[in-house]
Amino acid sequence: MSDLEAYRGRAIGWLDSVAASFGRAARLGLTEGDDLSLGRCYMAAKYEAGFAGINWPVEFGGQGLSPLHKVAFDTEEMRYGMPTGYFSISVGMPVPVLIRFGEDREWVQERVTRALRGEEIWCQLFSEPAAGSDLAGLRTRAVPDGNGWSLTGQKLWTSWAQYCDYGVIVARTDPAVAKHKGLTYFWVDMKAPGVEVRPIKLAGGDSHVNEVFFDEVKLTDAQRMSPVGGGFAVAMATLMIERYVATDSGGFGPHLDLFIDLAREIEVGGKAALEDGRVRSAIARNYAMRSGLEAITRRAMLMMEAGMEPGPEGSLNKLFSVRSRQKLSELAIDLQGNAGFAFDPHASVKEDWTTSWLNAPTGRIAGGADEMLLNTIAEKILGLPQDHRPDKGVPFNQIPA
Amino acid sequence: MSILLSEEQQAIATESTRVLEARVDLSRLLALVETTGEWDKRFWDTAVEQGWTAIGIPEAHGGIGLGLIELGLVAQACGAATAGAPFLTSGHGAVAALLGSDDAESRSLWLPRLADGSVTAAVAFAEGQQPLPASPTTIVCAGKLSGAKDGIPAGLAADLVLVWAFAGSEPCLGLVEGAHVVRTPIASFDNARLHADLAFAEVPIRVLATGDRAHALAHDVLARMAVVSAFEQVGGAEALMRTARDFALTRKAFGQPIGAFQSVKHRIAELYGLVEIARANCIHAASREGQPDFVEAAASARISATEAYDTAARDCIQIHGGIGVTWESGLHLHMRRARSLAIEQGNMLYWEDLLAERLTGFAA
Repeated sequence: MSDLEAYRGRAIGWLDSVAASFGRAARLGLTEGDDLSLGRCYMAAKYEAGFAGINWPVEFGGQGLSPLHKVAFDTEEMRYGMPTGYFSISVGMPVPVLIRFGEDREWVQERVTRALRGEEIWCQLFSEPAAGSDLAGLRTRAVPDGNGWSLTGQKLWTSWAQYCDYGVIVARTDPAVAKHKGLTYFWVDMKAPGVEVRPIKLAGGDSHVNEVFFDEVKLTDAQRMSPVGGGFAVAMATLMIERYVATDSGGFGPHLDLFIDLAREIEVGGKAALEDGRVRSAIARNYAMRSGLEAITRRAMLMMEAGMEPGPEGSLNKLFSVRSRQKLSELAIDLQGNAGFAFDPHASVKEDWTTSWLNAPTGRIAGGADEMLLNTIAEKILGLPQDHRPDKGVPFNQIPA
Repeated sequence: MSILLSEEQQAIATESTRVLEARVDLSRLLALVETTGEWDKRFWDTAVEQGWTAIGIPEAHGGIGLGLIELGLVAQACGAATAGAPFLTSGHGAVAALLGSDDAESRSLWLPRLADGSVTAAVAFAEGQQPLPASPTTIVCAGKLSGAKDGIPAGLAADLVLVWAFAGSEPCLGLVEGAHVVRTPIASFDNARLHADLAFAEVPIRVLATGDRAHALAHDVLARMAVVSAFEQVGGAEALMRTARDFALTRKAFGQPIGAFQSVKHRIAELYGLVEIARANCIHAASREGQPDFVEAAASARISATEAYDTAARDCIQIHGGIGVTWESGLHLHMRRARSLAIEQGNMLYWEDLLAERLTGFAA
């Protein structure tokens, strides 16, 4: 057995031992506040057990292992439905960036430990009303103010900002240069005067994302994490930091087995749904697609284990799996006929087809819209030309609104 | 077997691609389309010379003792070039049947000749619309085969035919020598595949397996051939994706390369995704040879490869505009091959149903 498989075995052993306290069943019926408290306890337990910060440096409370060990643990952890969602952005991107770019190392160390233990949560303040896929078009501005900066503007789609202690933020410090050249990267205290968080209710009924308003919020220059005007590069580094993440060929929706279980109980035109060609075709196509995506992931892992650079095809998972989840969820609801109208707003996206269907569009937008992923494949992998960009090289303050 | 290709395997892929790129001749392939009964003899000579006919045959029988992955990589290169005599895949089917049977005498007789390319084989399982009928109407009685098999790829010229038939109350798998077969050529949309209707009138058959054994062996042979064909489909789909990309980089309209328009570049990026998913499924399936989940893996490879090749044929021609529908562009060679390969070794309906049966326990 390889070192990695032995590690996976130990991870499963520990996850099994705490599943009753923190897993899917333990969370059933909890309010969000209670679930968050349970999540903080889980993060602390994970830290004590030595499964936190798996691929982070030991001096920052990490385990000093490879990204593969982290992916192995995350892949197993995903099966238990543990309350990790509140912390996944925090320890996924802002905190690793803090480790890399934070100036005051002692302060950074304390933040990292607290974040790993679930005591503090960090958010990532990038998107804005006028800057989604086109991140460099952001308008929140930081202007010099004494020895520091004053921050004013609005961020959007900030996950879990309502529970966050700190955030990393990109703001415009020079509107007179081309849009991606006038940006600077800071960290910000989410409890500081002038910060206001307003949750946004999403189509599925939950409110894990927010708008965040900044009204002349004071920043010291020590909160700056990039050179002035060098924020875009750090923002890109943030988005690239989790290059190897646990993927789900089901597009983070229910597994195909659950679809088969559902179809097993249903008749179409007086015969078993599983005998219906349309249902069989959907099952077979979904399986074949997932099987291919999983083989791509396995190959990437093997390549990394062998010290090779995995191919770019790893980027296909989100693009293909979420669209497929949408179609399968629609068919699952369709199969139930009028019984399919019923809806439980508290059901899990991993177990309930209607919840999966209602929340799936987010998966095609967040973390890179389908269209942006296709552009990346076309341009970076296939060498096709960039889109025509009329604002290219134009000073930000001269781009027509 | 690992799903990471070894250096030797990568060398096979590179070398077969290089040889075919140097020797494939578009005008010859175009001429074959309009001729019933002819196949690419120069390609076949190349296949024999390069040892491709010997890949899956053990060294003790005159082969080079490699496996499904190496067969697949050669098939992929053939697919990219729309090269290929139909015998290359069906020959491997006959080899797999011989290796899976207890008939040592037939193995000694045929394997060395299949390895050196002096004998070619066709696989005649299908009847009507069924790729592998549960109750074949082709009958073996007192060592003689009677009946018909229609639309068999390679059937027009193969020296040996592997037949799926009924003997008494149980299925059987046997070999018939080509000299005993009455063949009627089919004028098809992909003539170089040598499709033919085969008739057997109380002809001698060498039975390789009967009953449950024959049933399991026939399914295994078909699944192995399906994986080889899936690699060939991936090769074709990838070639079309690259052709579309190259054309989109050079063809200009409205003052820019058409590849700068999202409607075009996204279409090509989608093809990239279909190709890579199918390729991953093919390599995975080849690595599962002989394992309990081989059929699921083969079905996944087949389904995703058929989808990739058909889609690539549609979209590559579309991206070329008018020039894509001309005879001389040759893109229709891929379009034809995409469909003929989609039917050979079981159509999409067959593999979807088989996979669904394995996953749900419900037969179609």
